[in-house]
Amino acid sequence: MNFDFGHREKAFQEKIRALFSDTRAEPLMGWGEESMSALRRESLTWLNRLAHTGYLSLALEDEPYGPATVAAQQLLAAVSPALYVCAETSARIFGRLMNAYGSPQLRSQVLPAIRHGEAMGTVALSEPGFHETRADMGTVGSTTSEGFRVSGEKPQVMNAPIADWIAVAGTVDNTDAAAFFLVSRHDQGLFMGQKSPPLGCEDLPMCAVTLEDCRVDPAYVMGPMDGREVFTEVRIWENQVLAAGALGLMQRALDTAVSHAKRHQSGGKPLIAYQEVGFKLAEMLTLLQTAQLLVYRAAWMWETGGPEAQELAYCAKVFSTESAEEVASKALHILGQTGFAHKNPAEGAYRNAKYLQVSGTASALSRMKIADGLLKNR
Amino acid sequence: MDFAFTQEQNIFRDQVIRFAKKEIVPRVPEHDLNGAFDFHSFGRLGEFGILGLHFPEALGGSDADVVTTVMAGEALGEAGVDGGLSLAYGAHTFLCADTILSHGTPAQKERYIPRLASGEWIGCMGLTEPGAGSDVASMSTRAERRGDQYRLNGNKMFITNGPVADVAVVYAKTGRDLGHAGISAFIVEKGTPGFSAGKNIEKMGVRTSHTSELIFEDCEIPEENLIGPEGGGFLMALQTVEWDRSALLAPFVGGMSYVLSKAVRYARERYQFGRPISEFQAVKHKLADIKIFVEAARSLCYRIAWCKDQGRPLNHLEAAVAKLFVGDWGLSPANDAMIIFGGYGYCHEYEVERAFRDSRLAPIGGGTSDIQKKIISKLI
Repeated sequence: MNFDFGHREKAFQEKIRALFSDTRAEPLMGWGEESMSALRRESLTWLNRLAHTGYLSLALEDEPYGPATVAAQQLLAAVSPALYVCAETSARIFGRLMNAYGSPQLRSQVLPAIRHGEAMGTVALSEPGFHETRADMGTVGSTTSEGFRVSGEKPQVMNAPIADWIAVAGTVDNTDAAAFFLVSRHDQGLFMGQKSPPLGCEDLPMCAVTLEDCRVDPAYVMGPMDGREVFTEVRIWENQVLAAGALGLMQRALDTAVSHAKRHQSGGKPLIAYQEVGFKLAEMLTLLQTAQLLVYRAAWMWETGGPEAQELAYCAKVFSTESAEEVASKALHILGQTGFAHKNPAEGAYRNAKYLQVSGTASALSRMKIADGLLKNR
Repeated sequence: MDFAFTQEQNIFRDQVIRFAKKEIVPRVPEHDLNGAFDFHSFGRLGEFGILGLHFPEALGGSDADVVTTVMAGEALGEAGVDGGLSLAYGAHTFLCADTILSHGTPAQKERYIPRLASGEWIGCMGLTEPGAGSDVASMSTRAERRGDQYRLNGNKMFITNGPVADVAVVYAKTGRDLGHAGISAFIVEKGTPGFSAGKNIEKMGVRTSHTSELIFEDCEIPEENLIGPEGGGFLMALQTVEWDRSALLAPFVGGMSYVLSKAVRYARERYQFGRPISEFQAVKHKLADIKIFVEAARSLCYRIAWCKDQGRPLNHLEAAVAKLFVGDWGLSPANDAMIIFGGYGYCHEYEVERAFRDSRLAPIGGGTSDIQKKIISKLI
């Protein structure tokens, strides 16, 4: 048992911190004000910087996803939730999918640019009525003499407006067999929807993706395969990203609240001197540290192939993302009007926490899966 | 970062669970309902080696590290051992014996540790007073030096094992105006003139542990019974309460795992509306919430144990975080388990009501949740 990171892992974390040490503005803030091409340029600039630390290669090379990756993820998510989601969608979800299921040729064509931050990817999985335990999907790839023609609609795909590659999940010829169809941003038959104003994550490039008879060469198809297995796996990768992101979100909200509570005076003493405030901060720190250890342990069990790896991943997702909302809510109470102002880290965290809960495997469904595991194994 | 136990630890854990299930758990309901201290089970804990697990072999222990020690506590809870016996074990081993082991003279260790490790003697610790809880500096028990003796006067309150203890570690003021620096620790043996214990205080939960007042009326003890230097008691108390916030939490977390297993079995077997209640989402969500609590709380306990094994004797933040989380966030899963059992959950026979009662101590004993928040907010 060891609750500390090794020298190499700590040195890596320092590299991430150093990357943002002299950055005054938060990277990728305000996509609403920027054109898509400007946002794409800025995203690639930051991804490229991140790539130099090795961040984008985590869980894509020799070492599997584990606690060291979570610690790095928390650091980035605390600095910039938008850059975090952009980088994780590209490297940890799209990259891992390519790494696990792409052909050697496809991997060598696509993955180096993803790891170096020179290209971005995303995975379009969910659609109305979709459930990862069933293979049926509205998006279908029909076999033709030249390959596949893919049609379907995917709502709210992260990174979609700026990604170079989109791995679109669908079924093959209306059978139970599933596949990921890799389409490029310039492919004919691929259409990007309008951005719909979300509750949170407004800095994120997210929109609907529609495919209408989009031609895909067989060399760009991962599958056919058992959809239930691979969709569940991708969902767990998403859940890992969301759970670790929630840690960063909590850290950011807590840091903002602590700083305010120490600086802001009321009745001749700093806010933190009041039990109402100090005790809230104590509860926030308790939730953060507890969630952190749970997410670390879930990642460790995933890395080591423990018997309850899936259940623990769901536990970590629920606890971390729900704690994030609680921590953000307490931060708002401490910050008062300051926290309520648009773009304050606390109000952003409060709204983004909801996204973390409902994305991936939503809290209610995660609880069902945890209980199913208990009923099966105890 | 590595959360794995060694193979030896896993084997030992299984042994503890088997031992407890066979020898202790069948005796729990009767003793709990009667509010009776189970001397037989306590003795068996000593014979099995639990009471002195982390003590040196030369003094009757097993030289185990703190992680293994915490693991044994969790295993007791997981087997179904009640919170009362676990609390009695904790007060005996960590609050009393460990203080003597960590700060006592060779002669004190030789006299007390083997007897405490074996369970031949039962130990307790007297810190809290009727008018002084977490505000330790305000204690009024005095130890006045008279030649080569100390004369103790005062009362201690809510002392776990008080009525059954053979030996007590007692904190008293030796310097009137020195605040924390005026607190010293002493060993007082049962039968010492002027020392007596009150009768068992009937409690809501942890009923198999006996709790009482300790009374000192011109109680004279030899100076050899002073633990460590005069005025060194506060630091000892701090180290002691950290055990409260780590090793003593582990049986509670293990106990929640035990309750979870019972709730899962019950939900599978109980049919309503033509199907097992485990198929209802409301029940599944409760089971999931208990599981999430257990998994979240476990690592907090082991983190402190690991810190101690790294040679860090004081880990205030880690300990307060663990105590606060287990205490406050543990109430809801204990409640959920009882509700899954419905009317049966309210009955003694099904044991979940005992877990519910026992869980109410977690945010109170060893420093209330508010005290933990105070500590954490000061360290932020």
